[in-house]
Amino acid sequence: MSIINYVNKEIQFKIVYYGPALCGKTTNLTYIHSQVAEAHKGELVSLATAADRTLFFDFLPLNAVVVKGFKTKFQLYTVPGQVIYNATRQLVLRSVDGVVFVADSQWDKMEENIESFKNLEENLVRQGTSLDQIPYVVQYNKRDLGNPAPVHYLDFVLNNRKVRVPSFVGIATSGQGVFATLNAISRLLLQKFARENETAATKQQQRSATSSATTALSGIAAAAARR
Amino acid sequence: MPILTIQAAGGLLKALEDFLEKSEASFVLIIERGGSILSQHGEIPDTIDPTILSALAAGSFAATREVARRVGETEFSALHQQGRQSHILMSAINDEAMLMTVFGPKTTLGLVRFYSAGAVKQIAAVLEQARGEPQIPIDLGSEVTDDSCDVFEEPSRRV
Repeated sequence: MSIINYVNKEIQFKIVYYGPALCGKTTNLTYIHSQVAEAHKGELVSLATAADRTLFFDFLPLNAVVVKGFKTKFQLYTVPGQVIYNATRQLVLRSVDGVVFVADSQWDKMEENIESFKNLEENLVRQGTSLDQIPYVVQYNKRDLGNPAPVHYLDFVLNNRKVRVPSFVGIATSGQGVFATLNAISRLLLQKFARENETAATKQQQRSATSSATTALSGIAAAAARR
Repeated sequence: MPILTIQAAGGLLKALEDFLEKSEASFVLIIERGGSILSQHGEIPDTIDPTILSALAAGSFAATREVARRVGETEFSALHQQGRQSHILMSAINDEAMLMTVFGPKTTLGLVRFYSAGAVKQIAAVLEQARGEPQIPIDLGSEVTDDSCDVFEEPSRRV
């Protein structure tokens, strides 16, 4: 969940890139890191195996826009896609604000995509949340490889919940679709944050209205008592 | 959503100041379970990015806690890493946060552990109180929530 710090004037969001093994989650972060200006990014940290496969997570902190004096910060994580690392994926999902589901577009990867999406849903339930509550987008990656499934089919398989979420085609190695995906999830998080703040503002108005009414009533009662 | 009001942040900082003064540790971070920093104090070398440190520490602590749980251990409150020059003590504050203390040869593990116990209680009380605080609304305006807004620019594809 997002963190608001009124002293440092910061709002922090945690985005997790999820998906099956070798679908391109780390490649998304590597490309983002190569493109964002130095002043707006931290180091890209990868906890990987000797074979360069994600063991725990990759982490990339980004500073985005300053809005009304508040700095917005986005912390990007990837999970290890290999099936055996499910306990690790659960840890990385803690306090998640938004998810990018990266799918491998190849026909022969469809089963792994579906398994991974189901696994995401299950792991979110373990955290006491669900895709109904968390903004997410889908990226169909590896469109440049031999045998990609059509986008409408991928949408039918991986984006067929009650509300269809934004989906993007991607070739993460060349950067295609990477920033479109990142901007979409960031926007969804800011929009959700704005909605929650509107609710908070309404509650605050109601509280002050109740408090003013109580004060006024006390004044009338006191005046009546004096008379 | 965790909200750090000016009052809560002041309470956390005061607890860290007291703890650092008594324990003579180098620096200390309060980290929420997702890996974000809630508060920090002490001399953090320029070569260290505390944001990265907190993400790694949260992962490490959570992983060790999970290992402990899976071997049937219900109590897991602290993790100590002994180095040559710098040592690290990570202590659970509650289910939502942890305290990470980095200390050098000026002090000892025993002293840091002793004072961290008091600091943890103090911090837990501040966080518990902050949980009940109402959110002060922040109006982000439409410029960043607009569907056409790009939060991040991609220089090589700029037209």
